[in-house]
Amino acid sequence: MPLTALMTEALLLGVSSGPVCLASCTPVLIPVLAAEQKSPRGTGALLAQFLGGRLAGYLAFACLAWLVGLSLQLQPRAHALIYGLADLGLAIFLASYALAMRAHPAASCDQPCPAARARLFAHRFRSFAPVILGFVSGLTLCPPFVAAGVRAAESGGLAHSLLFFLCFFFGTSIWFAPSVGLGLLRRFAAVGVVARLTLFLLAGYYGYLALIVLGRVVLHD
Amino acid sequence: MTDRVLPTPRRSIGKSLLLTLPILLWSLLMFSRSMIEPGRAPKLAAAATLVFMVALFFQMMRTLETHRWRRYFFVALGFLFPVGFIWQLYALRGSMSIPVERMLSGDTPFCFLAIPMMILPAAVAGTVIFPGSILPTASNPHAIAAMVALWFAATLVLGKGWCSYGCFFGGIEEGFSAIPKKPRIRRLDPRWRWMPWAVLAAIVLLSAATLEPVYCMWLCPFKAVTEYPAVRSFETAVQMGIFITLFAGLVVVLPLLTKKRTQCSFLCPFGAFQSIFNKTGAFDIRLDQSKCTPCVLCEKACPTMSITPEAVAAGKPLMSCMKCGACVDACVRDAAVWHIKGTEVGASSERARLMYLYSAWAFAVMFGGSIIAGALEKLFGLMV
Repeated sequence: MPLTALMTEALLLGVSSGPVCLASCTPVLIPVLAAEQKSPRGTGALLAQFLGGRLAGYLAFACLAWLVGLSLQLQPRAHALIYGLADLGLAIFLASYALAMRAHPAASCDQPCPAARARLFAHRFRSFAPVILGFVSGLTLCPPFVAAGVRAAESGGLAHSLLFFLCFFFGTSIWFAPSVGLGLLRRFAAVGVVARLTLFLLAGYYGYLALIVLGRVVLHD
Repeated sequence: MTDRVLPTPRRSIGKSLLLTLPILLWSLLMFSRSMIEPGRAPKLAAAATLVFMVALFFQMMRTLETHRWRRYFFVALGFLFPVGFIWQLYALRGSMSIPVERMLSGDTPFCFLAIPMMILPAAVAGTVIFPGSILPTASNPHAIAAMVALWFAATLVLGKGWCSYGCFFGGIEEGFSAIPKKPRIRRLDPRWRWMPWAVLAAIVLLSAATLEPVYCMWLCPFKAVTEYPAVRSFETAVQMGIFITLFAGLVVVLPLLTKKRTQCSFLCPFGAFQSIFNKTGAFDIRLDQSKCTPCVLCEKACPTMSITPEAVAAGKPLMSCMKCGACVDACVRDAAVWHIKGTEVGASSERARLMYLYSAWAFAVMFGGSIIAGALEKLFGLMV
């Protein structure tokens, strides 16, 4: 297949399935952007980090897709295991992130002390969080993503698979751009409180989903 | 208790009757169909509801109090709605539980609580995520289109007043919160007020991602007294456990301990969604700072913690105000007043109250009144 046709197909697939990608990523993305309460420019930077992490997730999946080729359609048990572990990781990460948001980098003691170190760790954790959350979102097996994965696996070599996913990523990313507007809400302090509470609720939801799915996997053994 | 500074006003019986006349005529129109139905139970139920609703409105006119009389109606609605609903479920299905196959066939009665969850999936994927029918059917008269239209029309006028006159669930906890004379728990962390917004954000986003009404499936406390998924697996057992725990905790125990509507204040995402329409409605409550001491009677009376010191300083309750009128009735200096946006605060409070009440009570008679009459008909049917 000519390279241009492959790229166009991937881009169009991304644009057409973008709303579904957006819907599957928003439970993680929107509360994170709202909780940070940055300016539209800062929110744009956070979004770029999230999308960068998501691209890394896509490309990691593309490598996997190329490695396993057409046997991408996983066994139900393996599928459930990946889903369960991803949900569990997401739940733990979201809860940790929401907790880390309460810690400020300014230390309460002059000398290095456990409290100051903990705050510093929380601050660093926060700065990496959008990238990691984007990466986990990129690995999530949403329907357009699986479709792109199957098509990428059929596209030939590893380079073609990666290129296909890259174009697919740009196609879907267009739909994420309006979320920069959340930066306009930063003057409302309540938005940050609500977003942090939302992160906890979502952590509970994903944690529960993980327990159900992993419980099924274990019980079937 | 602070003594009333101003003399307790009371309207004359003649004037009160005259002001009640439009509601009497409206009620006759609403219940006339039931009056001519065969059998004694429908006639009795319609007559009892008519007298109940008109008498309450007359008392509102006569005593100039709103909250006390509204609460009788609202608690009756809250406790009678499950009676009629469960009765209908048993008549149609023989059970309160709904199997998945019936749910998929669109036999689920539509509830307004699902409205916020439907917006994003409808916009993004063009799909209605609730498993009910859009238009009424023989087996399911509670269709989506009818409820959405009814809710929208009422919301345009009442704003969050829907939660005081339209919601058929809030009356249960309002009933429990009215039982104790004094609250056992007085101090509640005000940050919990933000929880309904967080629940709203979480369910809207998750519903868009999963294309399922997440709140109905996992969090609605009122599933415990209406219908619930048939318990056939570990998942459905957990769902049922969540419903019962939330109902017992937020609708029964906490209202008894705090004298507040705790489910509305700390969980209900629809209430948070409805708060947005307080910004668009014509009526609101204002707190006149020139008359306020402040004695915090309004703060204590508010069932949803919508009056805080900051709100008093700002001269109006928070946007979570349900326009129940409790603060206005509690204020001994007439500092809390009904208000029409764009008019001077306190200049025509009673006129604003009347205009609001005519809209709210007309809706209450039509919507809540029909629910009360339907449940009474079933109960009278047992006796007559």
